[in-house]
Amino acid sequence: MKVAVIAMTNVRRMLRERSNIFFVFVLPLAIILLIGAQFGGSFEPAVGYHSADDDVIARSIITALGSTDGLDLVSYSSSDDLLKAVERGQVQAGIFLPAGIGASARAGETVDIGFLARPDGFGAQLQSTVGAAVSEVMTPVAAAHFAATQTGGDFDQALALATDYVRSLNTVRVETSAVGEALFPSTLGRFDLGAAQQLVLFVFLTALTGSSALILTRQLGISRRMLSTPTAVGTIVVGEGTGRWATAMVQGLYIAVATLILFRVNWGDPLAAFLVLVAFSAVGAGTGILMGSLFSNDQQAAGVGIVLSLGLAALGGSMVPAELFSPMLQRVAHLTPHAWALDAFAELVRRGGTVADILPELGVLALYAAALFVVASFRLRRVITRV
Amino acid sequence: MSASTRIASKDLKLRVRDRSAIIIGIVAPLTLAFIFNLTFGSALDTTSLDLHFGLVDQDQTTTSASFKTVLDDLEGQGMATIVSYPSAASAESAIAAGDIDAYFLLQPGMGQAIQTGAPYVIKVVGDIDHPTSTQIATSIAEQYGQGVITVQTALGVSVEMSQTPPSPLDLVSWSQAAAQQARGFQFVPVAAATRQLDGPTFFAAGMAVFFLFFTVQFGVSGVLEEEREGTLTRLLAAPIPRRSLILGKAILAFALGIISMTVLVIATSLLMGSDWGAPLGVAILVIAGVLSAIAILGVVAAVAKTPEGAGNLGSIIAVTLGMLGGTFFPVGRADDLLSKLSLITPHAWFMRGLGDLAGDAPWTAALPASGAITVFALVFGSVAWMLLRRRMSR
Repeated sequence: MKVAVIAMTNVRRMLRERSNIFFVFVLPLAIILLIGAQFGGSFEPAVGYHSADDDVIARSIITALGSTDGLDLVSYSSSDDLLKAVERGQVQAGIFLPAGIGASARAGETVDIGFLARPDGFGAQLQSTVGAAVSEVMTPVAAAHFAATQTGGDFDQALALATDYVRSLNTVRVETSAVGEALFPSTLGRFDLGAAQQLVLFVFLTALTGSSALILTRQLGISRRMLSTPTAVGTIVVGEGTGRWATAMVQGLYIAVATLILFRVNWGDPLAAFLVLVAFSAVGAGTGILMGSLFSNDQQAAGVGIVLSLGLAALGGSMVPAELFSPMLQRVAHLTPHAWALDAFAELVRRGGTVADILPELGVLALYAAALFVVASFRLRRVITRV
Repeated sequence: MSASTRIASKDLKLRVRDRSAIIIGIVAPLTLAFIFNLTFGSALDTTSLDLHFGLVDQDQTTTSASFKTVLDDLEGQGMATIVSYPSAASAESAIAAGDIDAYFLLQPGMGQAIQTGAPYVIKVVGDIDHPTSTQIATSIAEQYGQGVITVQTALGVSVEMSQTPPSPLDLVSWSQAAAQQARGFQFVPVAAATRQLDGPTFFAAGMAVFFLFFTVQFGVSGVLEEEREGTLTRLLAAPIPRRSLILGKAILAFALGIISMTVLVIATSLLMGSDWGAPLGVAILVIAGVLSAIAILGVVAAVAKTPEGAGNLGSIIAVTLGMLGGTFFPVGRADDLLSKLSLITPHAWFMRGLGDLAGDAPWTAALPASGAITVFALVFGSVAWMLLRRRMSR
């Protein structure tokens, strides 16, 4: 009973803090929305183009580029804007179609198409993709020029013949197929991945910022006053632990329910998702209590809490999916509880798993929580009974 | 020593003794920049896409060898790594093992089909999780196919246009010439400056400016702490002008901001290999950035009732501006609404200014962005000054 009272007081204190309306309730959703807008949906590289004049060949090239799969084509009205966009990395590559492409092609001159790629992206390799689209337009032109030169015939006649010839030709085609099980299946919603990542990040962050509440409880002498009542040290320690766990649960449940309603995020099997949240909140609570008992200055604890919760979140795959890490870094990632919680959510959301499928992840999280609680309660017992 | 500098130096000593400012101003941004660079550096396209393609040549003719030559050329240019596999099954297990992103399958009959103009399909099989690499492989095969079609069309049209049927010797020389002839266009490189930061610099700069808005708070909210502890009335009773008091706190905030940024610039350059650019340009950007942070948080301090309230509201504004300003990840795509919205934050201008300095640009490249940040500093600074003076005279 006393445990529940101490725990509920902790939750009430968190909810009464007005800035928490922002950090606990507004910010997580804002970030999920921002990340969904930025990274959700297509991962197609953006390629910009500028055409110096409205030439028929230039237009055909743009049409061919537009119908190429896997490119997000962006038009720029001046070559200067396009140049700056590539330089700033807003687009991966830029295509500069010069003035008078048609005239040069007719004259049999080699048309110079400006191509600029960022040195560090995959823009350089996109040149092949752009080249294939340009070739489609330039093939009849080049062939016609060859034939006209070799036979001394008329270019326009040759071009007409070549255009028909290419159309009737049914020679080399390319067929593409994909193999393997998709890491991020196309059924994955725009916000699904980001929602699980942010839930894990914020549950841990909220649990850790709770450490300053614990420090204040000690500083203001609340724990000493609780001790003066007929309350066992164990009860206070368990009550504070339950309180931290409950605040983490409030944060997690809020994100899960709000994203379910607002963004229709798929959380998979509800019972299994709830158990992951229970276990992960316990890990967060254990860490929060440990920090609350190690520090005596709440501002220092808050600073270290931010570093720990953002740093572990990044390492654990809450910012960039750990699946994209190098194999070595993936092993490091699994030292964090975040990676295990995210693995469990991935199993539930992407592969339709149930409780039975995530038992290993739940087990690891439970071990983390147990170990942290044992160390934290031992330490907390010492600091609140110290005279 | 004037009253304002005396107030600032006393507070600075206090802040250094209490280690929170050091944690927020130096330890936090440094640690996070290091971790972000480690984790995102390997995952985001801040590094080159490493293309690995396989080739399964079941045709084994000179024609299929010519396809391999195209791939070898790409490998020679450092665009991709090419590995040959004896069978489609072995290439597929290489995809599953993550050794290659995609492979080209040249089935038997390629040589004959291309010689006789019969239909032929080059197969590209890609890893489902590497759509861009697979798309590039497809384009390489398509371009090869277009080359074949160009030669076939050139020959076909030439034969059709000839007054007299060409001799076999003509045909041979034509096909050689057609194979040699250019495809009608070439890509020429466009000269460009670099206006984007590499990974180590992006994360260092992003975290530095993100935490700057927290560090500066330690100085700015000082007025409120004096007010709560009752020392403000005593200071006001002393023979020092009110503006010295505000100025003292501003000087403290400025000193904390500059110290934190300077340490971060030097530490990330030495430890992470960040390349911040021309020192004078960086200095101007940093000064403008610190001033804008003081100005914005000054307004917060002026409207807040308690130091905690100022701290909370300041954190909310710092987090919102930092996220929107692209200090964690670039915000917006091409020139969409989000990337325009991002520019209402000094953070975005700070990052843009550093981007403009990248690639050995002269210090003057930082001036446009510094100018924009200074506008923030002036506008919010004037409002903060006015509000704080009014608050003191109450």
